[in-house]
Amino acid sequence: MNKFKKITLDGLIFQNPTFMLVLGTCPTLGLISSAFSSMGMGLTVVVILTLSNILISLLRKVIPDAVRIPCYIVIIATLVTFARIFLYKYVPDLYDSLGGFLSLIVVNCIILGRAEAFANKHTVVESAVDGIANGLGFTAALTIMGVICEFFGKGSLFGYQIMDFGVGMLAKPAGAFLVYGICIAVFVYIIDCFERTRRVKANKLARENLLKEAA
Amino acid sequence: MTAKQFFKSNVFKCIAALLCVLLVCGVFLTLMNALMYVSPEEETDRAINKIYGQSVKKEKLAVANYFGNADIEEAYHILDDGNYLIRSKGKNGYEGGTVTCWIVVLVKSGKISGIGKIAITGNEKQSYIDRVSDKALNQFGQIYTEGIYYSPDLITNATVTGTKTAICNAVNGAIYFVNAQPGITGGTVNIYENFLYTGNIETNLTKHEVLYDEEKNVTGVKYTVVTSGYAHATSMTLEILVGTDKKITSITHVKGGGTNDDYINKALKNIPMFVGKGVDELLNFYNGGFEYPGEGKSDLLQTGASESTYTLFNAALFAAGNYDNCIALEEGGEENE
Repeated sequence: MNKFKKITLDGLIFQNPTFMLVLGTCPTLGLISSAFSSMGMGLTVVVILTLSNILISLLRKVIPDAVRIPCYIVIIATLVTFARIFLYKYVPDLYDSLGGFLSLIVVNCIILGRAEAFANKHTVVESAVDGIANGLGFTAALTIMGVICEFFGKGSLFGYQIMDFGVGMLAKPAGAFLVYGICIAVFVYIIDCFERTRRVKANKLARENLLKEAA
Repeated sequence: MTAKQFFKSNVFKCIAALLCVLLVCGVFLTLMNALMYVSPEEETDRAINKIYGQSVKKEKLAVANYFGNADIEEAYHILDDGNYLIRSKGKNGYEGGTVTCWIVVLVKSGKISGIGKIAITGNEKQSYIDRVSDKALNQFGQIYTEGIYYSPDLITNATVTGTKTAICNAVNGAIYFVNAQPGITGGTVNIYENFLYTGNIETNLTKHEVLYDEEKNVTGVKYTVVTSGYAHATSMTLEILVGTDKKITSITHVKGGGTNDDYINKALKNIPMFVGKGVDELLNFYNGGFEYPGEGKSDLLQTGASESTYTLFNAALFAAGNYDNCIALEEGGEENE
């Protein structure tokens, strides 16, 4: 499989940070009561994760091993602070809706995790692709859960009221926790089915090849 | 270790790398902060656009604290539609805290025609501010009638009395401010504005009536005093009768005043202490002062509900202290300060 295709599919699906690795749980539970906030948070993480992966990959040979973690944190904190300044200036509504979770991106384990596990060991282009893929995987997961929670919790979608009925609990972190659990179960089940089908196909192909060779 | 060895060591490389990263990041953030600075004017424009949903032409008005229980922080006359946009900080909320709101006061034909929108932008000590829903804020516009001053009882879509008091004060302040603007007519004049001892008294909700005998001689003044909430004590309504000797004749509790019945009953036990007292004697309750001295600091009053008792004291002092002002108002004269 093509290297970039593998990195992309891993980030988006097979090692999705939210559903498969259960990382970044704090902003996930805090923000998924609103689809707009979830999507905004996801896209902010895409930008920060991609830039941090690029910078860390660029500097990986310059930064001594002993101080790599403090350096990564300084770089990530700088990018998060820049994101805060940028959003406050140009997208104040999103800035207000993200609240304290925007600053907490600094300690988001997806970003530090990808820096340490991937960007530290790979080229700039590969790290950038990994950042985009993981960021989009996080965004997709948050948006899906945000849509579910907002629709069933408040009866609205991206702030537009669709129905008057809503299960209030789903719009709160406790309900978000429930939705998060259900989504993980469904996602893992789908991936499991997909993997099983792929294994069956591979076995069948191998058996046919063996039979051909025997014949 | 020699200097040469130090500069070649891993320790130096680590320090240098960290310092370089810090320096570059610091310079970058300083530049970005300067480039993307948001001025206070821009912040105000954003707040206004958020409320109006569009950019509007506006004229900034000079502000002053026109209303006892609210501070008018910013005020604009919207030139596009003639309405007023006021940022008002209402006082006397839960635990003596405040609520700050942007309030759109609708104006039609030179008169206030309603409250357009209220957006809460800040608060102090209002831990249950989330319980004030949009539905409750919309109620201000729905129940508006000319000359109205809001009291927490009127807002039925929220149950947080202290916070509602602060919001009502903010809205009342905005209404009072707009009524005082040139070209606005029909506003209710606050006759108690220059009365004495109005701290902690809802002067817009308080009323009085001068009593006469059959020969038209003044026999006293009957007040219906509404106090502001004070710390944990909620707003209280009392009927107070003051005789011609300017001393309290009777005090009847109508409603409110404590966080629960236990506290208000404890406070009401002090009512006999107020009856027969004039201003000087009342001031003695708190060592000659008007300010709240703290819990259980009065030697003369029973404690156990100090804050509710203090609001009772405020009401009694207002009633006894303004006897002459009420008579002067009745005779059409100027009230004394």
